[in-house]
Amino acid sequence: MNHRVIGANLVVSIKSFYREKTAMFFTIMFPILLILVFGTIFMDDDKLNFNLYLQDLDQTETSAEIAQALESTGKFNITRVDPAVEAAQYAKDNKVNLVLVIPRDYEKAYTQYLQYDDLSAFATLRYVYDPSSSSVGDKMQILDMVFARMNQGLSAMPPLIRTAEVSIHTRKYRFIEFFIPGIIAMAIMTESLFGTVNVNTELRQKGIIRKLSTTPITRADWILSNILHQIILAVISTTVMLLVSYAVFDIALNINAWLPVFIILDVFSFVGIGMVLTRIVQEAQSASAAANAIMFPMMFLSGSFFPLEMMPDFLQAFARVLPLYYINEGLRAAMVFHDNLTALKYAAIIGAFAAIVFMLGMMVTRWEEGR
Amino acid sequence: MKETEYAIEVEKLTKRYGDLTAVNDISFKVRKGEVFALLGPNGAGKTTTVEIIETIRRPTSGKVHLLGMDVARDKRDIAPCIGVLPQGFSSFDRITVRETMQYYSRLFGHRKKVDIDALIALVNLGDKAKEQYATLSGGLKQRLGIAIALVNDPEVVFLDEPTTGLDPRARREVWEVLLGLKKAGKTVFLTTHYMEEAELLADTVAIISSGRIIAMGSPTQLIEDNADYLVLTLQSVDEKALAVVGMMGLTPEHNDDGTIQLRVAKQDDIRRILNAMNEAGASFLGMDVRKPNLEQIFLKLTGEALHEGACGEGGAK
Repeated sequence: MNHRVIGANLVVSIKSFYREKTAMFFTIMFPILLILVFGTIFMDDDKLNFNLYLQDLDQTETSAEIAQALESTGKFNITRVDPAVEAAQYAKDNKVNLVLVIPRDYEKAYTQYLQYDDLSAFATLRYVYDPSSSSVGDKMQILDMVFARMNQGLSAMPPLIRTAEVSIHTRKYRFIEFFIPGIIAMAIMTESLFGTVNVNTELRQKGIIRKLSTTPITRADWILSNILHQIILAVISTTVMLLVSYAVFDIALNINAWLPVFIILDVFSFVGIGMVLTRIVQEAQSASAAANAIMFPMMFLSGSFFPLEMMPDFLQAFARVLPLYYINEGLRAAMVFHDNLTALKYAAIIGAFAAIVFMLGMMVTRWEEGR
Repeated sequence: MKETEYAIEVEKLTKRYGDLTAVNDISFKVRKGEVFALLGPNGAGKTTTVEIIETIRRPTSGKVHLLGMDVARDKRDIAPCIGVLPQGFSSFDRITVRETMQYYSRLFGHRKKVDIDALIALVNLGDKAKEQYATLSGGLKQRLGIAIALVNDPEVVFLDEPTTGLDPRARREVWEVLLGLKKAGKTVFLTTHYMEEAELLADTVAIISSGRIIAMGSPTQLIEDNADYLVLTLQSVDEKALAVVGMMGLTPEHNDDGTIQLRVAKQDDIRRILNAMNEAGASFLGMDVRKPNLEQIFLKLTGEALHEGACGEGGAK
């Protein structure tokens, strides 16, 4: 091992990376774009405001109380719909996914029920909605809850069954907080895998490795400088991802020593896989095709984007053989759930994997030409 | 390291790839300070031979010593002593000429301090020092490759087909640099399939064909030893002259420039041809008598043309 040689290699690889603007853009910016897009789509529930269109056909003080009750939840921006128009047509014309209609005889039913104890009296509030809209279900659920509470209040009896939420985590986490560790793990995987495959096949095809093998640089120096290069890129890219996430989404993640541990294990695992790949597939183009074949299942099936519980059982079982799964879950255990024991368990599993695959990669990486 | 007058000693070297014998039991020695050219067509075994000496490949059998060191064993000790321009040299696209030189210089450490700017000037790349490798033309890339091969002030310089794929002007520029090396007294091991290159630069030429060395010596000596005929070139011949040539049982070779070439065994034959033309009243403008060149010697020795199938011939890459 020669630090001067490793330093020289690092300078060349970092300059090459920095000057290859498109590659740099995609390496650094692609994960950022994913964070911005997914973070915006799955914006927090409690920060979300629904637009609610309300048509009050009754136009009485009692019916106005419903609007007040809805407004007091803080979840709705209420827009009044003219009682003269037809609700369904209005929804169609204005591309509105839900119009809540208070019936004409609402106050009458209300008085009947409360003042004359006529329990057969009732009023039907209509949800005029577009079933093809994805968020309309949530809206109706919240409305149901509001009305259930109002009904309960009207009955003047304290509720028998009450509920309390007890999170198994120290606090409620948001989707974006779940998402960011997955994106970090995925971005480092992509950089390490493609970085290794591209550098090795390209430099071999161009004959640069052959030239280097006539200089004092050794195979170990070469591999070590590649690893260091990938670690530097991973640290830069993780830092940028976290800074953007803090700035834009005001996330609350637990940054501790586990983060560098998983970054390094992530790099070693996928540089190792990259080295093995380049030995098996030597043409640059087929090598990146093979890298894609490894990357895509990892990306979508190891729980980088969505919680694994959303997937069918057999896919969940499959995820458990993917190395990225252990990095995702380990990072989440450390950054989101403050669960050191789980983080340690996953670090041990991925550490063993990284050690094996990296040593295999070292063994199969050729330096001399065919002997 | 034992002291020896030879920079390279190759003894009974054989290299096989499966059933294919790329290099077949060859032996030769290269004296220190000489320019040695391995001349042969593509696929003759030139690159395999030079890559074994450069420690890139391992021999199947035989011994190769470089400055007294065994290439199969002493790879680490050999690397600092040699400078290599590999076949189809290439470098990092986004790194400038000067940075590339600095990079290779750092790989070799500060064992011998070499002035990078002087090297860049030697290969005439001074005004390109800040340009990235990818933007250089083929000839400039090749010249950078030569400068890199000199970055550790090596005792032996290997140049594997340094001008293949270059246009004639770029080739001449590379030759200028190589003549400079020769003047500086470096030991240079050159492989080429260009006869003019070997003839111009080399002190010793070894002709290799199908993995075997079939002739070796200085260019003049090779021609002297193998030239058992003369080449008579006649300019602007008329019909009568052609008829005379035909009657004498000679087959003329017609060149593109309108001249014809005749192959004759000895000086007397030339006199006979000229007399016969004179008698027949045939006319021609100029004549030239030469010994065959290396290319023709090569053709005679191997039965195959040097340039047959040579790729990138004359065109810039």
